[in-house]
Amino acid sequence: MSALLDIEDLRVTFGGTAAVRGISLTVEKGETHCLVGESGCGKSVTSLAVMGLLAKGGKRDAARLSFAGDDIRDYNEAQMSRLRGDRMAMIFQEPMTSLNPAYTVGSQMTEVLRRHRGTPRAQAVDRAVELLTRVGITAPGLRLGQFPHQLSGGLRQRVMIAMALMCDPELLIADEPTTALDVTVQAQILRLLAELQKDLGLGILLITHDLGIVARVADRVSVMYAGEVVESAPTAELFRAPRHPYTRGLLSCVPVPGKVKRDEPLGSIPGVVPRIPPGFTGCAFRDRCSFAEAACAGTLPRRNVGPAHEMLCVLPEGVPA
Amino acid sequence: MSTPAIEVRGLRREFRASQGLFAPPRRVIAVDDVSFSVPAGSVLGVVGESGCGKTTLARMILGLMEPSAGEVLVDGKRLDGMDRRARARLIQPVFQDPFSSLNPRRRVRDIIAMPLVAQGNVTTLEIDRRVAESLERVGLSTEQGTRFPSQLSGGQRQRVAIARALVLRPRIVVCDEPTSALDVSVQAQILNLLAELRRDLGLTYLFISHNLAVVEHVASEVAVMYLGRIVERRESEALFRDPRHPYTRALLDSVLTPEPGLGVPDVGLGDIMPDPANIPPGCRFHPRGPACFAPCAATAPRITSLEDGLVECHLAG
Ligand SMILES: Nc1ncnc2c1ncn2[C@@H]1O[C@H](COP(=O)(O)OP(=O)(O)OP(=O)(O)O)[C@@H](O)[C@H]1O
Ligand SMILES: Nc1ncnc2c1ncn2[C@@H]1O[C@H](COP(=O)(O)OP(=O)(O)O)[C@@H](O)[C@H]1O
Ligand code: SF4
Ligand SMILES: [Mg+2]
Ligand SMILES: [Mg+2]
Repeated sequence: MSALLDIEDLRVTFGGTAAVRGISLTVEKGETHCLVGESGCGKSVTSLAVMGLLAKGGKRDAARLSFAGDDIRDYNEAQMSRLRGDRMAMIFQEPMTSLNPAYTVGSQMTEVLRRHRGTPRAQAVDRAVELLTRVGITAPGLRLGQFPHQLSGGLRQRVMIAMALMCDPELLIADEPTTALDVTVQAQILRLLAELQKDLGLGILLITHDLGIVARVADRVSVMYAGEVVESAPTAELFRAPRHPYTRGLLSCVPVPGKVKRDEPLGSIPGVVPRIPPGFTGCAFRDRCSFAEAACAGTLPRRNVGPAHEMLCVLPEGVPA
Repeated sequence: MSTPAIEVRGLRREFRASQGLFAPPRRVIAVDDVSFSVPAGSVLGVVGESGCGKTTLARMILGLMEPSAGEVLVDGKRLDGMDRRARARLIQPVFQDPFSSLNPRRRVRDIIAMPLVAQGNVTTLEIDRRVAESLERVGLSTEQGTRFPSQLSGGQRQRVAIARALVLRPRIVVCDEPTSALDVSVQAQILNLLAELRRDLGLTYLFISHNLAVVEHVASEVAVMYLGRIVERRESEALFRDPRHPYTRALLDSVLTPEPGLGVPDVGLGDIMPDPANIPPGCRFHPRGPACFAPCAATAPRITSLEDGLVECHLAG
């Protein structure tokens, strides 16, 4: 059986910036695949490219881009918009970008069902109440009548999730869904997503910059740097044996209670993600990498370093344990 | 005993937020009778969810906002009535958002020089020297000093904010979520820089964050804030080893460490966010506490002293 979402050699450029440079990944039914990396490394562009929502000037190219077995590369806008919010749903970091401030929660939630399914209003309201309850909202009736700005950030994100589920999607793409939230609310939202996935068999592509989140929710992880996947593995394998210098660097930055002594420095990666022009060769991480050598400016091998564990780096075994 | 760097007594701040023409204004109690002191050279971490009063507390300690009641002493001197320039030499802020807290139309070196210029009677030569010293301290180059904030990354902008805070060589720096808008990798760079500066310059920090894991790394003592009150204040090591308040435990449970297989914990707390315009009777935490029992709804708990701090909860009493 083919994967729910199957991406092969996805590329996106914006004029002089190569934002995504040949990404391949799959999301299976019932699986959470996490795409992790620092800000500016191309995570959001990847998800927007899949949804057909790239900003003007963005050029997409892929060897394969299929959803539930259908090639969606040549879908026109009407076909894509029929998919979006129906079989394929998306939630963003800032819920206000996708909630309309002028309409109540109730009218926005029911509109989704009416547009995609032609569901009668009363039935759509029932479904909205059911889903708001499902995402842990204790007074769904009250919330339906409220406007987005009357809700806290955590409630808004719950509403977004409920709205994304209105049409029973098969795939959910979540781009940093908890980055703007308190850690307490973040834990609640992530737990909710995990539960929903178990109950509904959703495939989830979860985008985050936080390896703590990845460890707790992902089945599979792709570590992204400057538009490429530099390391990819099943979650347990990646955290047991992280091989790529960038993955190692990211891991060392995460403060862990009880782990780091006060006044001992945290691990860190110097510098920032560079902007990469089209036609760039070699490892984009080499200016920040403490293992860099002359060969890193040449063509890099992508090789297997463990069970279903791939890495893009000149080091044959990656960073030693 | 030496004079504490910061001492606050019975600090309180209310706001009246208008709700439109006909509704009565909402009375928001943002900080509610808070007292503590911070010994010179130490770091007090302050944690709590959005809206619990952290920034309001910071602004009062910086003298940027009048308390409704109570007083603030910085280096033993009362803030009210202190000359603004004298205050600026003593205590300086670093704020969360490196995008909005720097003037976009000024060059980095002019931004850093501002507090010095505001002092008056400092020569241009001295200003240049001190700005260069500050830039170097935070790891920025002379060339970066000639740029505008928009030409810098988020982490570099936060370095500018730190350089500006240091240029008057203050004793105390109040950091309000200095890394919350940054990537984990850049957060680590900034936390390491702040730790190094504290050691080298003997600074005292009030360090605010909503993430306990971040606070643990810098703070010698941690205050947990809930709806305007400090519900637990402990030596850092003790707080992480043995949290006593259920809210502190929930905060600690919320930290997702990079350990696979553990899943996402159930932190409890429900979906209702605390509202400082509507503080519950009894213990203000009780509607969200899974383990809270009958007395919690009826009576506010008293402060219980512990060997290594204090806690305000019936369960700990
Ligand atoms: N100028 C103001 N007028 C009215 N209400 C205010 C004002 N400033 C703050 N508040 C209210 O006081 C409470 C505490 O706000 P504060 O900014 O101190 O919270 P915080 O803990 O810093 O939150 P965050 O983590 O979101 O920064 C909030 O309910 C806030 O809406
Ligand atoms: N609309 C756009 N026009 C030009 N460049 C863009 C646009 N959107 C994103 N980029 C660039 O693509 C790269 C990846 O961005 P993004 O996917 O948003 O990163 P992430 O989500 O990982 O933080 C960045 O260099 C960014 O500046
Ligand atoms: S290819 Fe070279 S520069 Fe890139 S990660 Fe590997 S060792 Fe470092
Ligand atoms: Mg993004
Ligand atoms: Mg604040």
